[in-house]
Amino acid sequence: MNNLFQYVPGHSLIHRLNPVTKIFLTIVICIAAFLTDRLLFLAGLLAVDLLIGIVAGVANRTWNIFRGLLKIAAFLFLLQALLTRKGTPVFWIITDQGLLTAGKVVLRLVVVCMPLALVLAVTRITDLTNAMVQVMHVPYPYAFTLSTAIRFIPQFLEEMAGIMEAQTARGVAFDKARGLKKFSMILPLCAPLLISSVRRTDQTAVAAEARGFHLRTRTSGYKQYPFTGIDLGAAAFCLLLLTGAMLL
Amino acid sequence: MIQIQDLSFTYKNGESPALQEISLTVPDGGFLGIIGPAGAGKTTLARAAAGIIPHHYPGDFYGSVTVNGLDTVDSSIIDLSRLVGMVFQDVDSQIISPLVEDEMLYGLENFGVSREEIPQRMEEALEKVGIADLRDRSIASLSGGQRQKVAIASIIALKPRILVLDEPTGELDPRSSRQIFSLLKELNEEQGITIILIEQKIMLLCEFARQLAVLSKGRIVRQGDTREVLSHAEELQALGVNCPRVTTLSRVLSEKTGAEQPVCINLDEAENMVRRLIP
Repeated sequence: MNNLFQYVPGHSLIHRLNPVTKIFLTIVICIAAFLTDRLLFLAGLLAVDLLIGIVAGVANRTWNIFRGLLKIAAFLFLLQALLTRKGTPVFWIITDQGLLTAGKVVLRLVVVCMPLALVLAVTRITDLTNAMVQVMHVPYPYAFTLSTAIRFIPQFLEEMAGIMEAQTARGVAFDKARGLKKFSMILPLCAPLLISSVRRTDQTAVAAEARGFHLRTRTSGYKQYPFTGIDLGAAAFCLLLLTGAMLL
Repeated sequence: MIQIQDLSFTYKNGESPALQEISLTVPDGGFLGIIGPAGAGKTTLARAAAGIIPHHYPGDFYGSVTVNGLDTVDSSIIDLSRLVGMVFQDVDSQIISPLVEDEMLYGLENFGVSREEIPQRMEEALEKVGIADLRDRSIASLSGGQRQKVAIASIIALKPRILVLDEPTGELDPRSSRQIFSLLKELNEEQGITIILIEQKIMLLCEFARQLAVLSKGRIVRQGDTREVLSHAEELQALGVNCPRVTTLSRVLSEKTGAEQPVCINLDEAENMVRRLIP
């Protein structure tokens, strides 16, 4: 969990794509997943997701994201299969239609979530927001909010670990509790975490202001994000995916 | 130049004034050290000097603070931020970007430093603070001390005319602390940058700062040349401010020998004194 959203440095084809292209590709995969109604095509999209992860050299991360999603997916699959009441029963109250719908819902979920998480693994968050501001003309405060939120994730985890350590030192046995019990032990820690986060965020705002937050314009970024040949290739691939989703 | 006149400040919802009737002048190219026990108002004073009070922290503000002729109440935080660079006490919350390089770029980009100049400024600042090797690292992977150096480097790269630093060596080991102090001295002497430095490491502060201000319960109890302030060692001790050991040595020797010894503020001076006294 700690580094599920953290950038993995690299120079792969995917890393070198323009951040805007990566966002575009992500959106196209999402659209394609909702346009198509064929299980096979969805499975194909999943393969595309996994392939992107492998080409980017972040196979481990891809696998971790996939495994994380599988747990939610299994739960959703069961729920959907039990709730669908159409079709002929194959086992107890579960119908063939139910299985098919559940499969599609779950695959869609995984297909849509994976590239969202992968984008963060292969793009520096500052590149992502800078490109959004420069190329897509997103107002800077919005981009700043996004990058700060992601920047704070490891910070908060660190802080949470600190609070838990302090509690453990005073005799709270986090390590002995499991499941709901552990959850109910962690819940009260949210108050100190929230308070310190608000204070910290406020200080970050001051620090940003003191370093010219309000002076920043669309063209302030030092790095520039031109489109190159690989972006063209990715765009062609996107077109292919969309046509496929509509025709198949 | 920073001129503070009769400044009193109470934070909104604060019970008592954090600062009371502060009057202080730091000339252009000055190097002022601020010491005082915890809760004396050091951080509040730093915030006021940088104009963050009253702009970001509301409260009752009396008196005036002028920075290079700009009244901090009337000027915008944008204008003030061009003049004053501030390094905050909390290391983590002042770092904005997830990567060292981006953190360095942030201020440079905002202040419109030209593309040609940015790499050189960035390298120079990283080099000076001694963290050139950390440039491509993520902030999350750094230790507290390394983060502190990044925070300092990111401000130094902006080349402000005035630097306000609130305990910038809190997380640093003695060697790195000395390195940062030497860097500040270099900036002060070679580029004439005015420095206001809050620090608990009294030994280092006394060695580097030309002027000292001692704060206690929101008031300035002593200010002046470092040596002059240190000659009131007993008064400082009573306030909970320790004096450097060399200063204590010269004071004790004055008492024991019955002859007034000059106040020592660094090792060399102490050595000379001892050599003189031992025939």
